[in-house]
Amino acid sequence: MARKRERLEVIRDVLKAIQTNRNIKPTRLLYASNLSPQMFKDYINELIEKKFIQIDIDNKEKKTFSLTKKGYEFLQEYRVIESFVDNFGL
Amino acid sequence: MEALSILVQNKELIKVFFGAIVLLICLIITLKSDRLFRLSSHQGIRHFRNAFFFYGLAFLSRYIIGSYYNPYNLSILLFEFFLIIGGFFLLHSLLWRRFRHIEKGYSSSLLSPITFLFYIMALVLVLLDLTWKAYFFMFLSQIVIFLAASVISYKNFRKKPGKFFPKFYFVAMLLSLVAWILNALAALMLNWNKGILSGVYLINVIVFLLFWIGIMKVTKQ
Repeated sequence: MARKRERLEVIRDVLKAIQTNRNIKPTRLLYASNLSPQMFKDYINELIEKKFIQIDIDNKEKKTFSLTKKGYEFLQEYRVIESFVDNFGL
Repeated sequence: MEALSILVQNKELIKVFFGAIVLLICLIITLKSDRLFRLSSHQGIRHFRNAFFFYGLAFLSRYIIGSYYNPYNLSILLFEFFLIIGGFFLLHSLLWRRFRHIEKGYSSSLLSPITFLFYIMALVLVLLDLTWKAYFFMFLSQIVIFLAASVISYKNFRKKPGKFFPKFYFVAMLLSLVAWILNALAALMLNWNKGILSGVYLINVIVFLLFWIGIMKVTKQ
């Protein structure tokens, strides 16, 4: 059985999915993130609140997500954060 | 013996220098871990940051400010208070997952119920030492904290035997434990033996340097 992802890993996966598929739609992101709808909603709200992602409206008036500068920064620093937590046993 | 007499003659200057080194290391660790916490909101990083923030306050009050201004031995009381809280936070950074349900919903880690418990326990320990005019409770609390931290870090090291860093962290915790035991022996049984105390200062500098090297290595800067 696959182990449960840590919170940081889920955030990384969601942000990576947005980075790979620029201006991704909510339903596609839900599938890509492999979360339950409620968990997905919680994580998305947290990421918006922390200004890691933003909501855009495309020319068909559909909602899409894109990464902010802070979101890119998180992805770049993810390995450092992971290594910090892992090495200090936090 | 000559080296020891030089150390004793320049005791105050060496204390300020020692305090300044530890304070600088604490400042670097606090700033670096704060940056990573702000990005990740990871509670373990947050408590680790808080530990070094309080250690920094302890060494600032005792060895920097206290060397020049120390009414009613206030700097020593503050040192003890901040040092005990720093120890609690360091241990909490290793155990936070077990208590996360208590802290949920508190935006400031300095105002959560667990932190209030730390403040109260540290205050009680300081008042007990003040009443008995000894440092027995500070030594006892630090020995218990670093004994627990040594056991936890040893378990972490056993989980990842191939990795270098968990061993490094375990060694740092073990050295801290040794330093506190020696400090307690020197203070409570050997009339503040200067030779042992010099050794304790040296071990403390090594422990803080180990943390500093670890942080620099992990953040690769």
